[in-house]
Amino acid sequence: MAFTKFTNLDYDQIKESIKDYLRANSDFTGFDFDGSNFSVLIDTLAYNAYINSVNANMIVNESFLDSAALRRNVVSLAGNIGYLPRSQRSSRAKIKFAVETSANTSTLTLKAGLVCVGTESNSSYVFSIPEPIVATVNEGVAVFGTDNDPITIYQGTYARTSFPVDTSLDQRYIINNPALDYSTLIVRVKDQNDVGLGQEWERVKNIIRIDKFSEVYFIAEVNQENYELLFGDNIFGKALQSGQTIESTYIISDGKAGDGASRFTFSGSLFDDNGLPISPSNIIDVTTLESARNGADIESVESIKYYAPRVYGAQYRAVTGRDYEGIIKQIYPNTESISVVGGEELTPPQFGNVLISIKPVNGVEVSDFDKKTILDGLKQYTIAGINQQIIDLKVLFVEIESAVYYDTTKTTTADTLKTAVVRSLNAYAGSIDINKFGGRFKYSKCQKVIDDTSTAVTSNITKVIIRRNLNVAENQFAQYELCYGNAFHIIPGGGSIKSSGFRISGNSSIVHITDTPNVDANGRIDGSGQGTISFIAENLNSNSGESNYTTIVRNAGIVDYKKGEIQLFTVNIVSTVLENKIIEVQAFPQSNDVIGLKDLYVSFDVSKSPINMVKDTISSGEQISGVDFPVTSSYGNGKLTR
Amino acid sequence: MDLFLCLILGLNSDKCRIFMMADVKRVSRTFKDISLSFLPHPVTGDLGVIKNERAIRQSVRNIVETIPGEKFFNPLFGSDVRGQLFENANYAAAFAIEDQIVNSLQNFEPRIDDIVVKVDLFLDQNELGVSIAYRIVGEEFPPQNYTFILTSTR
Repeated sequence: MAFTKFTNLDYDQIKESIKDYLRANSDFTGFDFDGSNFSVLIDTLAYNAYINSVNANMIVNESFLDSAALRRNVVSLAGNIGYLPRSQRSSRAKIKFAVETSANTSTLTLKAGLVCVGTESNSSYVFSIPEPIVATVNEGVAVFGTDNDPITIYQGTYARTSFPVDTSLDQRYIINNPALDYSTLIVRVKDQNDVGLGQEWERVKNIIRIDKFSEVYFIAEVNQENYELLFGDNIFGKALQSGQTIESTYIISDGKAGDGASRFTFSGSLFDDNGLPISPSNIIDVTTLESARNGADIESVESIKYYAPRVYGAQYRAVTGRDYEGIIKQIYPNTESISVVGGEELTPPQFGNVLISIKPVNGVEVSDFDKKTILDGLKQYTIAGINQQIIDLKVLFVEIESAVYYDTTKTTTADTLKTAVVRSLNAYAGSIDINKFGGRFKYSKCQKVIDDTSTAVTSNITKVIIRRNLNVAENQFAQYELCYGNAFHIIPGGGSIKSSGFRISGNSSIVHITDTPNVDANGRIDGSGQGTISFIAENLNSNSGESNYTTIVRNAGIVDYKKGEIQLFTVNIVSTVLENKIIEVQAFPQSNDVIGLKDLYVSFDVSKSPINMVKDTISSGEQISGVDFPVTSSYGNGKLTR
Repeated sequence: MDLFLCLILGLNSDKCRIFMMADVKRVSRTFKDISLSFLPHPVTGDLGVIKNERAIRQSVRNIVETIPGEKFFNPLFGSDVRGQLFENANYAAAFAIEDQIVNSLQNFEPRIDDIVVKVDLFLDQNELGVSIAYRIVGEEFPPQNYTFILTSTR
């Protein structure tokens, strides 16, 4: 009998296996001709085997978290290790407002539900609250929220779902609303004769400290991104009884679409002491203390597959760097990437400290409020004696300067091609290769992206520059340190480091940062890998267009080329040429592949990367000999300023 | 052994080669297929077997009658004769059918060649008479002629 491959998933191979088997049998000889009657039987047999193989393969794939593709299965497998995928999350804004009333009431109640309508980019979003808010009326004015204690409003529509309980049935309590934000979910259980709202039950994530009297419930994501409420069994958690009613209220969110709304119009409902609606006697002016932010869409399948094992591995304890990665994402869903560095790895070491750097999905900074929320949330997971600090994101920008050679016969205009090249680079800049802590800018890949943009691109000469933005403390004596995490290329005459302009006290010129490598007695680079930072002023000759430079401060700092660090000695910077008190300091890296070391976040800044289109005169057929070919240097231009 | 026998008989090398060639066995090739009637043989009770030119003839019929796309993962197999049967019955349609049949047999039945197809229109009976003449490759069968009727329903 022929050797049969049981792993075949290809129809033709299965069919071939059957034919191989039949070849050992001399009773039938015409089966391998497609027109034969026997071929019909073989086809049917092979098709059946094929369907079975595919089904078996799919079932096995869907049985493991790594290979499952259907959300339902991924969620179910993640549930087995105690992971609940994040739901859609409402954007939250903080507001305050005052209501004047002539009604004779000691309090005003802002009803749960719609409060405001917020606008963002010509779109309107409703904002609600999940629970009523009561304010005391003083001299006819009720104040809702203050600067220190604002009201949090949630983007989305307030909704309610009720379930009558009948224990004689096999009931499931599924809230059919995939867009609900489960952090706003409130579940109350009302006895048959209760007249009020019912008793609020608490959502729990595990069975620690739960007994048969605990009024708790769990939630689980089920089919179609809906959520199921799971109650106790009188062993772990109190069981439900027939006649009771489950009242669930929640907010249906638009996810991150609601972020950004900053102007709000009041649309809420107010009630007096007796529960009667009242109309305010003033036009309610809503003051925004914090615009809407931190909305998030439902957790993606990829994210569940990535985080579920990590959260399980962390076991609700933040010990290793990976643990933080899983837990912080739970506390602050707006996280795009996290870097956690143990204090012992720092220079000098800071034992007992953990430095956390977070790149939010939108923007680069985490607000002070969010930092506090994250640190508070982390407290329940951390081990004693470890102190977490959330540090601001340090962005290491990568810029390129590229001369793109193109064949004029294959493109309409150079501008069109340039637009296409920039578009390709932007797509590469947005890729996961770069946008993460520990990310890497890959030089060869970048060059390939440019070359592959169009058949009209014949080659490219690309130079890589690394840059950091120095945030200046204006009019203050300060020392500055910039770490790049990548070694600098040493240019013997200096000029590896350049900067945008700024002014220092005691000198009216616009100065720039430059470097000079340390040399030995013979004038050769001494091998220490260090150099001196100087401040220079540029004098531009308007006739020739050439510059010469005057040194303003000769010894303004030091540079460590090997470590990729620049230190400025005490200096009083009074202003910067660029806005936002920023000095852009660039360097040529020793390696064209740039890595994001420790807490550095690599970002490919295409907007500051000049792309020069150069006609490839040889490929275009203008000059076959290449005598006047426009050659581009692969090295720096010799200028000392940025 | 044969070479040893040549030496004993005192044959020279040429005669010896002829002697050895005569020793080659002729292996007869037959084509066998099952009968789609699935009726058991009246004596043996085995599944019905069709052989040689009959097996090939059945294959020719199958190829002509298979609509492209019917065979799993082989969408080109068959001939689109069925589609043509719903066209206006005229000689243009008949020529098209002839072409279809010749092409499909050339593509999918390697056991035959010298294929000649003739399609006759029987307008009053709403039928087409198909006559396929072919030769079986490498076998000593006489030229085959296979005739059947095509109607717009099976």
